[in-house]
Amino acid sequence: MSRSGPVKGLLVAVVASVAAVAGAQFHQHRHQRLPIVAGPAVARVASLSEYGEGLARTMADTKVFFLQGAEPGGSALIMAGTHANEIDALLSALIFVENAVVEKGTLIVIPQLNHSASVYTRPGDGCPLFYGIETPWGTKVFRFGDRGASPLDQWPDPDVYVHYPDAQLLSFLDARNTNRSWPGRPDGLLTERVTAAVMRLLAEERVDIALDLHGAETMFPVTNCIVAPERSMRIATMASMTVTAMEGFENHVEPSPKGFRGLSHREIGDHSDTAPFLLEAPFPFLDQPTGPKTRDLLMTGRDPFLLSLAGQQKLFVPYDESGWPIEKRVGQHCSVALEIINQFSRKRADRAIRISEVPRYADLVRNGVGFYFHDPSKADPARVHLD
Amino acid sequence: MANPLYAHIAAVLSVMAAAYAAARWRKLGVELCMLAAAVAGGLAGAVVQTPPIGELARHLVEGTFTYLDVMLVFVTATIFITIVTESGGVDFIVRAIVRAFHRQHLVALLLLMILILIPGALTGAGSVSVLTVGAPSALAMGHLGLSKRRTAAILFIVAGLSAAAPPVNIWAMVICAGTAIPYVGFTYALGIPVLLLGTFTILTLGWRRDHRVSRDEALRAMPQPPPGMNWWRVLLPFGAFFGTVAASRLWPFATPVMGLPLQFTLAAIVALLCSPRRINALALSRDTVRRLVPLLATMAIVGSLQQIMTVTGVRGAISYAVIAMPLALLYVLLVVLLPISEGLLTYGAAAIIGIPLVWYLDSIGLHATIVIAGLSLLWPLGDGLPPTALIGRLTVMVSGYEGSYWSFLKETWLPWLAITAAGIGMIVYSAKLSALVAWGL
Repeated sequence: MSRSGPVKGLLVAVVASVAAVAGAQFHQHRHQRLPIVAGPAVARVASLSEYGEGLARTMADTKVFFLQGAEPGGSALIMAGTHANEIDALLSALIFVENAVVEKGTLIVIPQLNHSASVYTRPGDGCPLFYGIETPWGTKVFRFGDRGASPLDQWPDPDVYVHYPDAQLLSFLDARNTNRSWPGRPDGLLTERVTAAVMRLLAEERVDIALDLHGAETMFPVTNCIVAPERSMRIATMASMTVTAMEGFENHVEPSPKGFRGLSHREIGDHSDTAPFLLEAPFPFLDQPTGPKTRDLLMTGRDPFLLSLAGQQKLFVPYDESGWPIEKRVGQHCSVALEIINQFSRKRADRAIRISEVPRYADLVRNGVGFYFHDPSKADPARVHLD
Repeated sequence: MANPLYAHIAAVLSVMAAAYAAARWRKLGVELCMLAAAVAGGLAGAVVQTPPIGELARHLVEGTFTYLDVMLVFVTATIFITIVTESGGVDFIVRAIVRAFHRQHLVALLLLMILILIPGALTGAGSVSVLTVGAPSALAMGHLGLSKRRTAAILFIVAGLSAAAPPVNIWAMVICAGTAIPYVGFTYALGIPVLLLGTFTILTLGWRRDHRVSRDEALRAMPQPPPGMNWWRVLLPFGAFFGTVAASRLWPFATPVMGLPLQFTLAAIVALLCSPRRINALALSRDTVRRLVPLLATMAIVGSLQQIMTVTGVRGAISYAVIAMPLALLYVLLVVLLPISEGLLTYGAAAIIGIPLVWYLDSIGLHATIVIAGLSLLWPLGDGLPPTALIGRLTVMVSGYEGSYWSFLKETWLPWLAITAAGIGMIVYSAKLSALVAWGL
């Protein structure tokens, strides 16, 4: 045996051990389930594959919660997890599912639209696999995801992504991005099947308004805002003005660009009777010039590099030593979503949707996000859904 | 008082540099030096839980997958072109070019430039240009009187430009994806500079012949293709590859997504079937992969290094340093920062530096599309710089240049300067060049 034999053997053992430890963590991340306690209004929990057969038995299939009102009315859809690394969206959607009381109309919630993206983190980005939210009953653990679907579920990427149906060329990265694949195709890529299924849901359930919840970098001009196409503009403007005046946080409206295809706020409006809105809350974790991508940054949004850039007027949102804590970000989403529904209901009394028991901005800043999550171990097991 | 995070990031960076230097001192390969830096940086970061020590293994392993797709393209494309070479196809093409254009060598070089631009323009990867048409082009340039060094220099610069050329420019696409700017209007904003700079490269590096060989002499010196080789046998494998690329553009919704690795594999199978010589595909594949191992190892470890730099905050600090710079200094430093970032992070540089930079420059009134076009002219230059030196290393490999790596790179100085001036000029005067976007598609 050569002298290098034992050294090589040792190196192989070290590499195998490192790979085994990493592999176990990847496996746990991909298969960990998130318990969701169905709130008082949840009348039915469906799978998205009921609206798109091509999703059945895939990692892209996801839960759809129907919150039914006592009185008939209009219908609203809240989508979160389009980008599974923008965690405020998911947390806001779950607050609706676990707490909302619907008095009139129907509220439909899809907490993890791109479910496959929620079981994957992007190589090179150094993100945590999990994060925890403190609640009165302990820590509720969530998977941290990615902007795009997992390549384990949709691969290979094309060298360039051609948007359906407009044939606009987009980055190959966007082939796995469900906010570039609208309106989708029932027999297309997995992400296109997801959006095609939602388009069918919008039609079959006669959804009046669709809200797509996101988080955006503080250096991104389109943040702290509602993005709306022409048909949604009036409601968006009224909602934005109301929350800014009444709730004390900045919010504005951005028009949906006509030339940029594949986005929910553009294609839903162009291809259905539903009025779309895309909500952006500032999310410093996504910014490039930050310190380490830690759970603390995820929760507090506090970062010395961003603070310095704020001093140089290089951010598009107000930013101070307090950062952008999760309570404020989730609070903004909840308030803006409620206000859009409210403004729509005023405009279309025949299709009104009335919701109560969902906290607004001030409630979340005062009580924290975890306060509104219910303990799955104490809930009726029939009301606990694993997503 | 300064935030303790700054000191910690500086300490991590120092530890990484020290580990790299120590590994170099022990005469380890560049891949192992980078691995040492990544592991040491991760351990230093773990002291303050960035990352927690229990997650270090996962970060190291996850990072190695960052460039998995690129590595697969390298393997399959190299196998493809090696089969074409073994079959005698390359010799056949080179003889044809020399026979037709020996007297008008500049015309021949300009045609070769177009040939090299096409694969990269269609796929967004200059490496694909080098791996598909690089070897026959390099041989032809040699027989047209150019030294191997200048041949390699032309191949490197034009392959880099091919990656920036429309319709597919991955740097621009990554930035557009991250900044919500539509990937439209780049046709002329990229196409015109690429063609002008490519022509400038050919004229400056190809004008003078290093040696003169008569056409008959050159043909006699060149290896004979095997009996039975003809244009059909040569072009069919390339047709299979470009046919699948073209089909995905012409009928995007009827063509299944194959991915470049499978497209190259298909082309390799066609090349094998078309070869008049019997080729042992298994042995050829094994030898090719063995030859590529250093490059593949570098790509895997660069991914790990990138992930460790992110999780420790080093990457963010670099991004911050770029964004926080005064504007005049930024313009000056972009000349070196962008190529270096490409050498370190390849396409990742577009996300880390490009996205915040474009937001910032857009906010001060520059034209975002022209800025992106200008930036993406500068990035390909970094594909000749270590640690990755993707196109540079492949160029040396396919052109058969045996001198030192830096001597080949030095040969590119004039086109390098021209490209830099063009890129920076487009950024600074972007508002005045906006007509290029208005005309574009």
